[in-house]
Amino acid sequence: MKKIFVILALLASINVAAAPKLVSKTGHVWFYSHTPVEDIEAHNRQSVSILNTETGEIQISILIKSFEFKVALMQEHFNENYMESSKFPKSSFKGNIVHLDKVDFTKDGTYTSDVAGDLTIHGVVKKVTTSGTFEVKDGKVTAKAKFIVSPKDYEIVIPSLVESKIAKEIEITVELPYTE
Amino acid sequence: MKSRLITVIVILTVLVLIFSAGAWFYVFRATDSNVAYSKADVEISAQDLLKRFESDENSANAAFLDKVILVTGIVEHVAHDSLGVTVYLVNPDEISGVICSFSDSETNLDKVKVGDPLKVKGICTGYLMDVVLNKCSIEE
Repeated sequence: MKKIFVILALLASINVAAAPKLVSKTGHVWFYSHTPVEDIEAHNRQSVSILNTETGEIQISILIKSFEFKVALMQEHFNENYMESSKFPKSSFKGNIVHLDKVDFTKDGTYTSDVAGDLTIHGVVKKVTTSGTFEVKDGKVTAKAKFIVSPKDYEIVIPSLVESKIAKEIEITVELPYTE
Repeated sequence: MKSRLITVIVILTVLVLIFSAGAWFYVFRATDSNVAYSKADVEISAQDLLKRFESDENSANAAFLDKVILVTGIVEHVAHDSLGVTVYLVNPDEISGVICSFSDSETNLDKVKVGDPLKVKGICTGYLMDVVLNKCSIEE
């Protein structure tokens, strides 16, 4: 009997030691562009993210070609003309939870903190800060954040012919369910 | 004479309408869901596909991106979410693998069991921690 307890205690300690890095492989990233002429949205549910709960480091990587549009032609234009996804296949965010002390990953609850870091889109790196939400439920962490980006800042050229159809500011939402 | 002209005009109008409807359908509705019916550009095992990306990502990107790929592997994990189903194909001795995303409309997924060999056809979108296949369908 005692042996079992010792083993259990050992297993528990191993678990704690291995905990700080959380991985999500099926994160959902989607963007939304609203203009009076047209609303455009596209979804990517294969983003990868690593979250270090001890240091607050957070990394998100996505493949541009994984974005799915309702209209195949739009997806083609997005990849070939605007994002040049064969030249720049990935986008990423590398940053930190600014107020890590406000987030308790060991206790159920919903926590909010700014997240700041480098956002890479179309090969262009920009410093960004946004508000992130961390939901802890039954020990599982889900991170959510919204980034507002302007295509112009990332040197994405939109021809004047379709300018009225694509928003000047595009809303990118990330939802990352972490598994151990 | 006049009635004949009208008949010709009517027939022409109908033809033009059918043609434009077809063209519209082709351009705007032709999603890549017909991946299931298109022939695979490449046939490869999950293990070999992963190795190609691990050893030289740029050359693998050139070889596989946007291509319809038929992958054979062992099912490691099946995950359901609000947007569809993800199947992980791996080789037992690997940490990484091939992620295959299906839409909810794929009906054969119920038969997929962990540990079973599976053939999946999909479009390769690149490599993060795993090789990613999109718009997948199960190949019998």
